[in-house]
Amino acid sequence: MTNAVSQPRYQFQFHPFHLVEASPWPLLTANATLSMMIGAVLYFNGIAHGSTLVTLGFLATLFAFILWFRDVTTEGTYLGDHTLMVQKGLTMGVSLFIVTEIFLFLSIFWAYFHSSLAPTVELGSQWPPVGVTALNPMTVPLLNTVLLLSSGATVTYAHHALIEGNRRAAIVGAGLTILLAVMFTALQGLEYMEADFTIADGVYGSCFFFSTGFHGFHVIIGTTFIAVAFFRIINYHFTAEHHMGLESSILYWHFVDVVWLFLYAAVYWWGSDGVF
Amino acid sequence: MASVFRSLRALPLARLAAAPRPAAFAPVKAFSTSVARSAGAGPPQLLGPGAKAGTIPSDEEQATGLERFELLGKLEGVDVFDMKAIEMTRLGTLEEPVQIYSLYPERQVGCTGFPADSHDTIWMTVNHSMKHHRCQECGCVYALNFQGDPHLLEGGHEHHH
Repeated sequence: MTNAVSQPRYQFQFHPFHLVEASPWPLLTANATLSMMIGAVLYFNGIAHGSTLVTLGFLATLFAFILWFRDVTTEGTYLGDHTLMVQKGLTMGVSLFIVTEIFLFLSIFWAYFHSSLAPTVELGSQWPPVGVTALNPMTVPLLNTVLLLSSGATVTYAHHALIEGNRRAAIVGAGLTILLAVMFTALQGLEYMEADFTIADGVYGSCFFFSTGFHGFHVIIGTTFIAVAFFRIINYHFTAEHHMGLESSILYWHFVDVVWLFLYAAVYWWGSDGVF
Repeated sequence: MASVFRSLRALPLARLAAAPRPAAFAPVKAFSTSVARSAGAGPPQLLGPGAKAGTIPSDEEQATGLERFELLGKLEGVDVFDMKAIEMTRLGTLEEPVQIYSLYPERQVGCTGFPADSHDTIWMTVNHSMKHHRCQECGCVYALNFQGDPHLLEGGHEHHH
């Protein structure tokens, strides 16, 4: 700390950008995800030790993310490296990342509509295919829709509370969001067990579990993201004006919510037996 | 422009930095930086009073480091990073060149003439060793107004913290 009254301008960095210090985490992340993917391929093809490698690779990837994002938090919150220009860049980065995720789901939906719009004779020329009893979209899936939409409301409530300086409401809102998200995941898990078809049951099984499975994975990621923001609110990391971690988690959560709405409409409702 | 930056010197950084902080939150520095820090390396630390327990802090209370520097400048009406293009109010002459504020012994200038956008951008490097730089297209004269660390002029390298 300095006691001098006046500081020359040149003592501070001339430009607003953050030139990060050398870090091992990108390389660690790359190695970890490669290990995880090789393990996954081995596992899918029934080759020995595939499951071990995919598990270890996943854990390594998780640790790499934790260490990397921990550094980002240190740099932004504790070191003050996140000037307005840096915040703009980070927000752009998060938005572009979400765009790539949208493209992932676009390709999954393409595969679904490819098979379901004109079901082949092998499927019995109908969708759902002959022999498949689709889940009732008006029971648990509808409840799940309500849960996700409500979680979108609670997270917006938490965000506004943070901006207005209401600490208690921000914490309660974020906590409720996590609760609703966990309820969604639990109910989806139960539905998975209830379904009388599996991923191996033809193109219907593949499409259903691929689309809802990837969505569920993203729900878990989004829940974790909001949970981290929840703990950061409690630990006074965020200010009323600067809370990019929370805003990014909210953007990601809205994306997850919108994907579910498309999933519900296309796969659960339109793709059901039509007797409901 | 230079006077605007000079006003930064009057910022009460010490008052804001030396606000009493509870011992429980006393900053613990990494051992690896403590030697360099006590030798004076690195920019001055800018710390706010921090959040009051049970509240959501504002940026003014909690921002630190470069972000705080930017915020304090904004409160004084100063863009500390000088991100905006220079306003062309006249064509620079040999007697009265256009002053280019710089914290480094040289700065890139893109001249579009007077009034602005009169011609395609002509890029030139305005440095401290030459008194005048003229745009090839319109003849506008620029001169460097160096406000940076005097050590840089002697050919010393920039401190990399």
